[in-house]
Amino acid sequence: MMGPGDLVPDPLHPEGPLPAGGPGRVDQRGETARLPETRGLWATAFRELLHKRSAKIGLFMLAVLILVAIFAPLIAPFSPTATVGIDEGIPVRSAPCIHLFGCDSSQPQHILGTDGNGRDEFSRLLYGARVSLLAGFGAVAVAVAAGTLLGLLSGFFGGRIDNVIMRIMDVLLAFPSLLLAIAIITVLGQGLINAMLAISVVTIPQYARVVRSAVLTVRENDYVAADRALGVSTGRIIWNRILPNSLTPLVVQATLGVATAVLEIAALSFLGLGVRPPTAEWGSMLAAERNQVFTAPHLVFFPGLAIMWNVLAFNLLGDGMRDALDPRLNR
Amino acid sequence: MNKWRLMALLAVVALLVAACGDDDGEETTTTTAATTTTAAAFEGLSYSAPDCDYGGEFMTIEAVDELTVRFELCYPDVAFRSKVAFSAFAIHPMEHLEATGGGGDALVGNPIGTGPYMLEQWDRGNQLVMKRFDDYWGTPAIAETLVFRWSSEAAQRLVELRAGSVDGIDNVGPDDFPTVANDAALQLIERPALNIFYIGFNNNFPPLDNELVRQALAMAIDKGRIVDNFYPPGSSAAEQFLPPALPGFAPGVTWYDYDLQAARDLLADAGYPDGFDIELSYRDVVRGYLPQPAVVAQDIQAQLAQIGVNVEIVVMESGAFIDAADAGELPMHLLGWGADYPDATNFFDYHFGAGSSDQFGEQFEDITTLLTQAGSLSDQAERDVLYAQVAELIKQHVPMIPVAHGGSGLAYKADVVGAHASPLSNELFWVMDPGGRDTFVWMQNAEPIGLYCADESDGESLRACEQMNESLLAFEIGGTGTVPSLATACDANADLTEWTCTLRSGVTFHDGSTFDANDVVMSYLVQWDASHPLHVGRDGSFTYFPGLFGGFLNPPATEG
Repeated sequence: MMGPGDLVPDPLHPEGPLPAGGPGRVDQRGETARLPETRGLWATAFRELLHKRSAKIGLFMLAVLILVAIFAPLIAPFSPTATVGIDEGIPVRSAPCIHLFGCDSSQPQHILGTDGNGRDEFSRLLYGARVSLLAGFGAVAVAVAAGTLLGLLSGFFGGRIDNVIMRIMDVLLAFPSLLLAIAIITVLGQGLINAMLAISVVTIPQYARVVRSAVLTVRENDYVAADRALGVSTGRIIWNRILPNSLTPLVVQATLGVATAVLEIAALSFLGLGVRPPTAEWGSMLAAERNQVFTAPHLVFFPGLAIMWNVLAFNLLGDGMRDALDPRLNR
Repeated sequence: MNKWRLMALLAVVALLVAACGDDDGEETTTTTAATTTTAAAFEGLSYSAPDCDYGGEFMTIEAVDELTVRFELCYPDVAFRSKVAFSAFAIHPMEHLEATGGGGDALVGNPIGTGPYMLEQWDRGNQLVMKRFDDYWGTPAIAETLVFRWSSEAAQRLVELRAGSVDGIDNVGPDDFPTVANDAALQLIERPALNIFYIGFNNNFPPLDNELVRQALAMAIDKGRIVDNFYPPGSSAAEQFLPPALPGFAPGVTWYDYDLQAARDLLADAGYPDGFDIELSYRDVVRGYLPQPAVVAQDIQAQLAQIGVNVEIVVMESGAFIDAADAGELPMHLLGWGADYPDATNFFDYHFGAGSSDQFGEQFEDITTLLTQAGSLSDQAERDVLYAQVAELIKQHVPMIPVAHGGSGLAYKADVVGAHASPLSNELFWVMDPGGRDTFVWMQNAEPIGLYCADESDGESLRACEQMNESLLAFEIGGTGTVPSLATACDANADLTEWTCTLRSGVTFHDGSTFDANDVVMSYLVQWDASHPLHVGRDGSFTYFPGLFGGFLNPPATEG
């Protein structure tokens, strides 16, 4: 996922594809009047997005996360895997110590304390943002790619293809998503990439269905019929006409989907099926210290807070985008 | 209509009465018949191996008379008393074993024994309820009902204890020791560290096949750091495989010093100057010897990184992990061992003896030879000499790195009288008075797997069995010495090859049948003879019997 500013010059909107048809074709379309409006969709949507307070907060939170993820090595005071606390001779799971706030300066400073292995919790949280974002975006990207393809085929061709694809999607939907993800990991083996794949597979039906329903509406439009009448190849119709015009609901769904994916990655890591130690990941950090919830609450509180921050960012943004985009779809 | 219904009801009642009457009649006759037979002549069971070539310890088990059992052994056994006191060798009624076919749910879910508690209900996944056995031969249980519950989370166990819904919990989390100790409503009892936590190596996997590499790894592990940071009070860094309190421990033998430079040099000598990659497997299960598996695994990973050894951590499901380790599929693994009975054979022979599994790869012949020799000696001083040599050889070959003897703690409500911790982890709840309440609730780490403990090796199962079943002898409460139980005494001949146990009279089983020598013979026989029709159990592995008594009679052909 790109930054919000990138939404405006979206490479997929139908401005670019037009020349493909040759010079005479533009005149014949009879659809040119609608094009400026379509082009304006994203710009308008983004403007509306900025007018919504919740979406602005979401954007801000996401920006913070992305910055943290990118600059983690610069911000983090320690390596996320170094057992600094033990080397410094302080007990493991020591409480946060910030010199600025009156912690004795003879004590080594650990803003959020140290974890069960004497590693700096703050540094681990920062690096954890990388894993969470990468895994969240990665999982959604794979799912969106596969889901879009299936949805396009299913919606455009209909009939038997539609039946087969959608029944398979129904089968996938019939399982509780986390359970299915665990089953897939059991087959593939433990690891971050496999966890991402598992979450992708589980969420494909959502995207496939969204795309399919959009395609079903779009393919009945006159400009598609016009293309058909002109003998444009099926592949080109799908790529140039159907896909760009079906994307709006998908973008909303994908943004909200990142929040779910991040949460599921954390859940899988909590269950010990995600990242391998000693990689810092919020879910596994939470899991590792769950039994110390009374003796070292900071080790459970902060990773939990980070997960919440992440999920909230994407949810607020997704909600805002839906509000910004939906009325246009209904018009 | 009404008339018919009444008639039908009457008919049913009449039938029931008749049926019950019949039953009563039959029962009486059987009992009488049985009494007459026993009174007339007790037909003692006797079973012998054709010879001692099968490799096991037992030659003959014989019911000499109603209350005497004789064990003839193939080789002397000093630890015999400790072994027959172990809970895997509890005595069950012969008739019950026969009626259940030696296994299945009827036996695994309802083991009839002679203990002070009997099974009331096992609500699987939820709780295990036992009630006082009123015809118990000894001092009856204090609390009328005993409930076993379980949770794998230390925090949850403590919360339940503080909320008052349980009376005692196992394995207090290492960080919670001070909390419990400072709480006036609770009492903390530390369990002596009669166990070992080790990093095991399988010498079939390169580069671990190279002894120098294993020695280098041994020098690169800072045991003190692990014990100081991740173990509760009462734990100590291990110098040997045996815990110091165990007979056979060699006081002079110490482990390699922590020396990173020497470790790097050795690795270079072995041809790995830049280190290597390796998998480290463990199960995320808390045991007394390993209170924080994940944290310790990651610390070992961090420590080995310092000599260039790149460790990839693999977490496995508990049962799958044990199976894979025994099958020799894990190059490097974290495991431990707690004493079942206080003898060196329980530690050494199970792991490094001639009959040990493939856990450490190829056996070390010099070690197996010494162990076989030491096991057949009856003089403890002579055995100690050999065990000291074994300890030295283990240090040389490094089949594993002994890391820690882990202390663990139990917590009880302050008003529990008689609360104790056992070094063998067999806490006995019938001697505890839960502040006058009539129910004692105990919460441990996990649910028992089965209650027919001849075929269990999991401590969580054994503890449940120990409340309901008894062996010939017993371990003293909270200790390791043996005391009379179902046998009033077990005595040996001069060379310790023949043991005669005199049984207690007037003991009844939970089902009302009378305990006699044949029950003892049968309870042992179904374990000893692998071809016996009742050698069934839960999964049929009966791991303790060959581990303690050398081997099965008629072992299945697949077992090499």
